[in-house]
This record gives sequence, C-alpha cells and structure tokens, in this order.
Amino acid sequence: MIFWSIAIAVTAIACAALFYAAAGRTVNATGPESADPNSHFRTLLAGIETDLASGKLDEEQANAARGELAREMLRLKNDATERPKAELGRGPVLAGLGAIAAISLGLYGFLGSPDMPALPLAERPEIAAQNISLGDAILQIEARLAQAPDDLRGWTVIAPAYVETGRYADAAEAYRRVIALSEATPDLQTNLAEALLLAAGGAGSNDAVELLRAAAAGDPAHVRSRLYLAAELMRAEDYPAAAEYWQQALDLAEGDEAWLPAARQGLAVARADGVDNSARDQAEMIQSMVGGLAERLASEGGSVEEWMQLVQSYVVLGELDNAQAAYDAAVQAYPAAFDRGELDTLALGAGLTLNGAAQ
Amino acid sequence: MSIELGHFSLILAFAISLVSAFGGLLLWRRGERLALVLGQAAVLQFVLVAVAFLALVQAFVVSDFSLALAANHSHSLKPLIYKISGVWGNHEGSMLLWILILVLFGALVAAFGRRLPSDLASLVLGTQSLLVTAFAGFTLLTSNPFERLAVPPLEGADLNPILQDIGLAIHPPLLYAGYVGFSICFSFAVAALISGRIDQAWARWVRPWTMLSWVFLTLGIAMGSYWAYYELGWGGWWFWDPVENASFMPWLAGTALLHSALVMEKRNALKIWTIFLAIITFSLSLLGTFLVRSGILTSVHTFASDPTRGLVILSILAILIGGAFLLFAMRAPMLRQGGLFAPISREGALILNNLFLATAVGAVLVGTLYPLVLDALTGTTISVGAPFFDFTFGALMAPLLLVLPFGPLLAWKRADLVAAGQRLMGMAALAVFLAVLISALGGVSISLAPFGLLLGFWVSLGSVAELIERAKIGRIPLGESLRRLAGLPRSIWSTAIGHLGLGLTVLGIVSVSAWETEIVTTLNPGETTELAGYSIAFDSFEQIPGPNYLADTGIFTVTAPGGGTARLDAERRIYVASGTPTTEAAIQTYGLSQLYLQLGEPLDDTHVIRVWHKPYILLIWIGCLVMSGAGILSLTDRRLRLGAPQRARKAAPEAAS
Repeated sequence: MIFWSIAIAVTAIACAALFYAAAGRTVNATGPESADPNSHFRTLLAGIETDLASGKLDEEQANAARGELAREMLRLKNDATERPKAELGRGPVLAGLGAIAAISLGLYGFLGSPDMPALPLAERPEIAAQNISLGDAILQIEARLAQAPDDLRGWTVIAPAYVETGRYADAAEAYRRVIALSEATPDLQTNLAEALLLAAGGAGSNDAVELLRAAAAGDPAHVRSRLYLAAELMRAEDYPAAAEYWQQALDLAEGDEAWLPAARQGLAVARADGVDNSARDQAEMIQSMVGGLAERLASEGGSVEEWMQLVQSYVVLGELDNAQAAYDAAVQAYPAAFDRGELDTLALGAGLTLNGAAQ
Repeated sequence: MSIELGHFSLILAFAISLVSAFGGLLLWRRGERLALVLGQAAVLQFVLVAVAFLALVQAFVVSDFSLALAANHSHSLKPLIYKISGVWGNHEGSMLLWILILVLFGALVAAFGRRLPSDLASLVLGTQSLLVTAFAGFTLLTSNPFERLAVPPLEGADLNPILQDIGLAIHPPLLYAGYVGFSICFSFAVAALISGRIDQAWARWVRPWTMLSWVFLTLGIAMGSYWAYYELGWGGWWFWDPVENASFMPWLAGTALLHSALVMEKRNALKIWTIFLAIITFSLSLLGTFLVRSGILTSVHTFASDPTRGLVILSILAILIGGAFLLFAMRAPMLRQGGLFAPISREGALILNNLFLATAVGAVLVGTLYPLVLDALTGTTISVGAPFFDFTFGALMAPLLLVLPFGPLLAWKRADLVAAGQRLMGMAALAVFLAVLISALGGVSISLAPFGLLLGFWVSLGSVAELIERAKIGRIPLGESLRRLAGLPRSIWSTAIGHLGLGLTVLGIVSVSAWETEIVTTLNPGETTELAGYSIAFDSFEQIPGPNYLADTGIFTVTAPGGGTARLDAERRIYVASGTPTTEAAIQTYGLSQLYLQLGEPLDDTHVIRVWHKPYILLIWIGCLVMSGAGILSLTDRRLRLGAPQRARKAAPEAAS
C-alpha cells in the first residue's frame, strides 16, 4: 500500500512538472536565428565579394554563388511564411499526461512485485541456519569438534566433507576417530582405506591394503572393499590374488553396476599376468589416427587445439622429432602469443625447442 | 522497497519517453510550448532513470540477492568497487547504463538547447525520446534488471573474474558515453531531414556533440585496449576481435563526421554527406550494441546469449536505421548543396580524409560481418584474422597519413599545394632522417618498419608545422614567438595536438610491431633469465589469498640494462565462487617501454615464464590521450562552447571572411 502511494505520488509530481512546463511563460526560444535572418546572408555575400576581389573566384563563379545565395534566402522566407504558428493546446497535453500515468502504473502492475521487501544480506535472519556452503559447514563443525573431540556424529559428518574438498589426510584422520569412537565395520574400514589411498595419490598404502583385507574378510558379500583390493593388488603385480578378488566382485554383482566393464577388463589382464592385449591394438589405432590428423592439418590446416592434439600424440608415442615438426608447423600457422600459449607450455614440458619465442 | 521504486522509476521514464516521442515527432510544428514540455520531459527521464540506476547500485552494495541480477552477478565478498561496477558487468545492467547515458545526453540537449529554434528542438528531443522508448522497452520486456527472486539464495554467483578489475569501472561508461553521444548527432540529422532545414547553425550545433562523443569513444577504446593488454595476459593490445571492431567502426565514422561537420560549419558545403555520416555513425554504434548484446559473438563482452533478445535488438536496429535511411532517401534530394571550392583546398583535403575513413569503415565492416553472414547462410565457420585487417586497414591508412600534414596548411576554397609543400619540407627531411637513423640503430631486416616510422614521424612533426609557421619560431625573437603561440586560436592548437596524438600512436604501433621481443622458458625459484638486456630473476613462489580468490604468486626481480632493480609480482588467481582462473601479468614500465611478465602454468616442478619487451608501447595510449585532450581543448574554444551558439554567431563573420 505504501509503495502504491509513493508510486502514484511520483507519477503525479512528474505530470505536474510537465503540465507546468506546458502552461509556463514562453521565453523567446526562437532566439537570434529569426531575429535578423538576413545578417547571415549579408556576411556570405560579403565573403563572395572579397573572394572575387582577391581572385579566388572569377566573375562567372561569383555570379553562380550569388544566385545560389539568393535562392537559399527565398526558400528560407517561404519556409517561414508557410509555417503556421499553432501553439500546443491543453488537449494534447492532458491526453499525454493521462497516457503517461496509465502506461506507467499499468506496466508496473504487469511487471513489478510491489509487495516484495528488500533483503540485504546483513538483515537476513536465516543466514546462519540453512543452506551454507560446504566450506562454511566444515568450519562450523571443526569449531564444534575442537570443543567436543568425542562427538561421533561430528566426525561422521565431516569425514566425507573432507573427501569432497580434497583434504584426504584430514578425512583419513576423521575416519580413524569414527572407528575409534564406534566400531570397525567393513564400510568404515573401506572408507578409511579409500581416504588413505587418495592421500597417497597413487603411491599405494600398506595400511590401506590391510584395512581392505580386513573389510573383505569381515563381510563375504562386501563388494567395494574387494574392488579396491583387486585394484591395489594389480598395482602390486600380485595377479593371481587380484584375479581372485575381481572374480569375487563379479560374482557378487547384480548385473547393471557401472564398474562391471572395468572389473571384467581387470580380470582379463590379471589372468594374462598383467599383459594388456588390448594395448597393442590401441597403439596401432592411435598411430593411424595421428597419421590421419597430421595429413589433414598439413593440407587443410586446423584449430590450435587440433595442432596441440597432434603434438601431444607424438609426445605420448615418443616420436619427438615428429612432435617438433608439428610444433614448428603449428607456430607458423598461429604466430600470435595469445593463440599458442598452451601449445608452448606443452612443448616446453616435452622438451621441444621453442622457436616461437622471437629473440 | 527501493528496488521496486527503482523499477517503477524506469517504467515511468519509459512512459514519458513514449509520449514524448509521439508528441515531438507528430506535433513538432506546434511551437515553443511543445519544446518546453519536451525539455522538461527529457530532464524528468534522466532523473527517473538515475533513480532506477541508483536503486540497482544500492541492491548490489548491500548484496540484496532477492534481486535476480545481484544473485547472478554479485558476491558478498567482492570489494566494494567491484560490487558497484558489477551493476553494469552483465547484460541487463549494461543496458540500463546505456539508457542512463542516453537520457543524460537528452537532458543536456534540453538544458543547453534553450536557444534552438523550437521546431528543431522538438524534433531532436522527440527522436531522442524514441531511442529511449526503444531501448527502455527492450530492457523492461526482454531483459529486466529488476527481476526478483521469490527464494533468494544466500550467496551470489559472482562476477566473471576477468571483469573484476578497475577497467570495468571505467571502460564501459566511457565507451557508452561515446556510442550514445552520437545519438545526438543522429537525432539532429533526423530533425534536419524531417524539417527540411539544414544550415551552418545546424553544423555548429552538431559539431560539439560529435567532438564530445568522439573524445569519450577515443578514451573508451584506448582504455579497453589497455585493459585487454594487462588483463588478458598475452601482451596483445588489439586483436581485431569483432567486438573491438564494433567500437572501432563508429570511431572511424565519427572521425570522418568530425571533419565533414567542420566543412559544413565553415563553408556550408558537404551538407548531405554530413547528415549521412551522422546517421551512419550512430547506426554503427547501434550495430556494435547489437553484435555485442545479441550473443552472436562469444567473447568476454557477451554476458548472455539469448536468441530472442538478439531478434528484438535486430528489429529495433532495422526500424531505427532503416527508418532513418528511408527518411534520408526521401528528403536528401530536397536539401540544397552550397559552398563552392576548388579540389585543392582545405575542403578538398577534408573530403579526401572522409573518403579514406569511410573506405576503412567499409573494410572493417566487411571483415567483421562476412564471417557472421557466411556462418548464418551456409553454416561454414571461417575467421577473418589479423592479417586481413592489418593489410587492408594499413593500406588505407598509409596514404591518409601521408597527406594528413598538408590538410591544416591548405586554405579554404582554393589553396596552394606547392606553398604548403614548401612549408613542410623541413619537417619531411627531419622525419626521413629520424626514420633512417632509428632503423639503422634498431637493426631492421627488410620490412615495412622504416616506412611506418617515417609515417609516424611525418604525421607528428607535420602536425606541429603549422604552429611553428604561425609563431615564426626561429625567424623572430623567441619571446615574440611564444607570445604568438599563446595567442593562436584554440582550434589551431587542437588540430595540431590531435594530429600529433595520432602520429604518436602510429609510432607506438610501429615500434612494438617491429621491435618487440619475447621469451618463453621454464624457471625455478632462484633461477634467472635474460631478455633485451634485462635480467629477470625468479625469487620465490608463494600462495597468497586475496579477498575472494587464491593467488599463485611468482615474485621476480628485474634488473634493467642501465642498473636499477624492480620487484614484479605475477599472479595466477583462482576465484573461489566460480573456480575460474585468471592471469595477472606483472608489468614494469621503463620510460615509454614496458617489460611484461606472465606466470604460466606450473609444469612438473617448474613454472612456465613468458616475458615480453615492448619498446615504446605506451606511445599507443599516450597518443590516444593526446588526441582526446585535443578534442577537449577544441570544446573549450569559445566558438564551439556548448550552449553558446550566440557567441558562435558573432565569431562566424571572421571565419567566413
């Protein structure tokens, strides 16, 4: 209601200002333009005479210029006489003001949300209560755990949050606390092992393998621990044991799990004592793809990304001479630094010679 | 409630502009009362849009995320300045800024235009209101900045990190002031076509507005270029990106307009061409807005791509530009040409200038639109790159620069080319000498660089030739010369300084293009590399948190060839809210040259470091500043001062005689 009062008041003030302007005294707004229209032409005429005298114009040109000037003057006179001086009446003004009020209030009624209050962040009551970001939540729980380190629920909640935010060592510590405060279920053991493996960043962890073995032993139907265990054993090149666990996991599967293809391939590799037969076919395929790409880029050119793909492929295949040649060709195609930033980085990383750097 | 009041203000301004547009364009013969009402309406539009804009600013400052715009483009942790500049760092807000500047110019016409003939004033204000109606209507109905969220989030989505820079606070307002300023010239042109009256008084009115807009546009483009240079992190200062071209085309056309309006004001000639240019210039501004706002182009400027919006802007564009050209086609033949002059004259030189600039606009337009049209018609994606523009634009600019110094030395009506040539002889010799000397010292292989240098020096020196000539420096005692210099009209000063600025920019461009050096390498903290005599030591690598980002910072010590060290911090930032990385290059200025250092991606244990030495690069932007300064100087000229056409009339006889 307050809003509508203000809106109507603003509209009324604006209309009043316009009405006052229409009714107000009129100053001589036509100004000097019509005061003496001929002074302008007299000046121009004098200019023509001067030019004639100084030889800038010859007699014929001066006559043409004078004639043009006279015609212009006549035209202006005609314009001035034919223009009726009908002043703006009250009717159109009132109609205009009515239209302004109707359009503005109507369109706002259609578009606006008059009842919606402003909600500056500082005045929001729910700010602490709901929906806070993961980082903020972690901070809050950490603060509470510092006060009450035996809070099982706190550790249970924060552990996956740590994993989510990439703080794997903290996550492992949190899972240890949870196990210490409750009991070591296969799920918790697998979680802890997972955190340890992630923290190790691919380097493996004996503790993790122990935990996984314990989890698998503790529950003969526990799939997740078996998958991790199989993968770890593959890494440790203990293929018979790995094959065992792959097989167990596959036997426990219900048939539509996302990990099935990976497990089947793992089993195949483990049975072949670690030799991946699919790898050789893959290499051949890569070779032919790279060859095709190189041919196309050489004949038709391509985007920077395609050139990078080519250089990268050669680097992966170990063909550094080809990589260098591809890089040189790419620089020739894209000389601007802006285009080849990532390309140069790739080349530097592979130890190629940077000839793009003009020196 | 302030947001809703702002929303209502914008709608009220829209309603007033709609009624003003009809009133002004239909009833323009109704005398001075109508002009007074329209003037009042123009001022009201400005006040109301300003209130709307401030309401948005306030909502951003207090992080009111019930405003959808703030929720989508702000963040409570952003520093205050970016909260404010974030208002126009998005599609809806930038449209409102566009409208704010549009109504500001309308209000200025109303304020300074009290002495305009009433029919002209009504038509100009009516056309201006029509533009406000079109853009306010577009904004309200397809991209409303005041949209609210029933369930407001607790944190905003943050502004694109590249835009979180002081550049966003300066570049768009300047650029828009330039774009939109040309709307005044457009409105004057339309008014002249409708009323059928066009005379020297018209040109005197249009020229200050052209000059003002041109100054803003020059500063806006220069600022945008410098911003791209330091923020994008690749050391490039102009990419011939379609969005850059979109701002460059109105600049070229505006430069042509500036010169042709001069002919019209002084000699009452080139009337139709000047009207045509005024329409073209603003049309190119609108085209720029369309290209950027429609989402046709993807770049840092395209905040949202929405085909509906593009279609609506295209329709507005078609109606406004098409309508103006239709009007032009119908009325232009009825306008009278006037003012005779010989081919060799100041007028002739200015026509030459216009020819080259108009052709350059055409070249840039083709290069910018061709790929878009081809893509739309056949689906083939091609890109017209820098080589096309460098070649065509360079080929057009070289002859223009070559003849430029002659222009100001030629007399109106009929001039003596040989005499002008003789007066430029000394400067020509000096330019050749400097170009040869520098090329010899710089060790240039066969390239266009010496020719570019020659052009740069020729324009710079040639433009001050008239000052030296008029002050008789060297021929009379120095004190007398200085007194003469101080007594020269400001228009002569501004011409000389403006052309000097152009020469400086050319020198900067040539120098950077020919003598820039670059090195890319990997460095560990503690290692050192060298470039162009500078020794660059990588001191340490640290991770430093900012207010709303985390920065990997490389700290470097640079030792200049002449001794003296400087500490450079180059950063790679990750913005928390969006996870987007940005590169903050470290730039150290040595005189007019700069060392530009970029911290690249970490590679295994080392870092990729990219360093450029950019000789005399600052001349590019200093030249633009000098050009703008010349424009401002010209605006302070008594004869051109805004709102003083009466005095201008008194001065006219001197100019005409």
